Amino acid sequence: MVGLSLGEQTFIKGGIEQDLRTDGRKRLTYRPIFLETGIIPQASGSARVKLGATDVIASVKVELGKPNPSYPDKGKVSIYVDCSPTAEPSFQGRGGEELSTELSSALERCLLGGKSGAGTTYEHMTIRLRSLHIHLLQFLVSEFAPGAGIDLSSLCIVRGKKVCWDLYIDGLVVSSDGNMLDALGAAIKAALSNTVIPKVQVSANAPSDETPEVDVSDEEFLQFDTSGVPVIVTLTKVGGHYIVDATTEEESQMSSAVSVSINRLGRICGLTKRGGAGLHPTVVLDTISAAKHVSEQLMNKLDSEIAAAEACDEMES
Amino acid sequence: MEFVNPEGLRLDGRRPMEMRQLRAEIGVVSKADGSAVFEMGNTKVIAAVYGPREVQNRSQQSNDEALVRCEYSMANFSTGDRMRKPKGDRRSTEISMVIRQTMEACILTHLMPRSQIDIFVQVLQADGGTRSACINAATLALADAGIPMTDIVTSCSAGFLNGTPLLDLNYVEDSAGGPDVTVGILPKLDKVTLLQMDSKLQMETFETVMQLATEGCKAVASYIREVLLENTKQLESRRGV
Repeated sequence: MVGLSLGEQTFIKGGIEQDLRTDGRKRLTYRPIFLETGIIPQASGSARVKLGATDVIASVKVELGKPNPSYPDKGKVSIYVDCSPTAEPSFQGRGGEELSTELSSALERCLLGGKSGAGTTYEHMTIRLRSLHIHLLQFLVSEFAPGAGIDLSSLCIVRGKKVCWDLYIDGLVVSSDGNMLDALGAAIKAALSNTVIPKVQVSANAPSDETPEVDVSDEEFLQFDTSGVPVIVTLTKVGGHYIVDATTEEESQMSSAVSVSINRLGRICGLTKRGGAGLHPTVVLDTISAAKHVSEQLMNKLDSEIAAAEACDEMES
Repeated sequence: MEFVNPEGLRLDGRRPMEMRQLRAEIGVVSKADGSAVFEMGNTKVIAAVYGPREVQNRSQQSNDEALVRCEYSMANFSTGDRMRKPKGDRRSTEISMVIRQTMEACILTHLMPRSQIDIFVQVLQADGGTRSACINAATLALADAGIPMTDIVTSCSAGFLNGTPLLDLNYVEDSAGGPDVTVGILPKLDKVTLLQMDSKLQMETFETVMQLATEGCKAVASYIREVLLENTKQLESRRGV
């Protein structure tokens, strides 16, 4: 990215102070969201989200697999994000690997509550917010619902048998202009709404330690339940104020950023803090409540866009 | 397996000399200097061009001409079975090199010494003919970036199955094990810049198949010209000309 001059930096910071950003938005306004579903026909579900100039594609593939022995009645989800060099020339070869890994693990944390996906994220919380007092930590911990985000037990086929659904979520960043995490979160939510899981018949005769025979139906499908899937809201601190949906220029001026993933019930499913500047604990609480407020609007907007896109799809097919 | 049924129709209902439906759009990646999406049937490819810009690796800088670099990558979800490694495998490296050499032939590199032009191609959906779709998309992206070229480069593939030459193979026909000839031409200058073939073919049949692929290239060229003309008209109207 071309560097910003001192005048440009002052302009960006000053604008944010006065609640009038460079593109005319207020501090807590998102860019226009453009959503399309079902764009990858060979995937079980897919979506493309454009947030201004940020363009991401998410695809979901459903395959049969063996459950983790420690969690026999839960399915598995793996999230992988690829940063295409079309977004940034520096992503060529292995250049985009660092960002890809950061985004993949941030998404895993936000949507699954950790790598295993089966537990709460208490441990992650203590690591992320070092400056928190104990009573604050307890307050935050109570907000966490166990196994929030994508419900892994819905991916179990039959309890006790050694088959489950494996969900492979792939993200691709085609064009980047800041706020990739929110865009990816929205794309994954839309792709999951678009996902259909085939109905299966498991043979009941096989003994419980062997892999049973599974008959995958080609005709009957179940819609994946996405009511618990959260949206991710990133609040970027520039100067003394927080903004939502930062562009690349605004992100270059940030001191810190907090990404909160909240679902429809208002439960926090994950939290990530980036950036070098330390935050006072009360500021963190303020950001979380601001994020909750913004997430309601974002959630409604996304749900209506997804419904419109699905209706479009149905009309076409 | 029957690739051409007795009525003369292929697996997807096309005639042997019929190309798949083409669709192109310019300017999809706003951050890039030039970009385009090119679809040939179910094969969908995005190309982005960054340049001419300062050379990143000083040791490779050339005082007489611009450096052209290209990277080809496939998305995880582009093929039927999920791919593990999107880039860096041998096929991607080979196709990157092929695209680079083809585009280098048509760019007027001596007009931009000590600079670098990056062409990035990302495959979103792969259904046969990805090489050709990439070259066509790269041509449009270079035109969108305003990089001077001697002529546009267009590419198309053709094969030979069940005794019939077939134009523009899709994935099923391509994996049948028959020959696959990919041709890239400069349509106005009537010169061939890319010629690759898999498997084996008799000499006379090869001439027919290559001729068919060249015809396909010319059809793509007229479509690309239409798209570029439409794009220029839009730019004119936006500027109020």
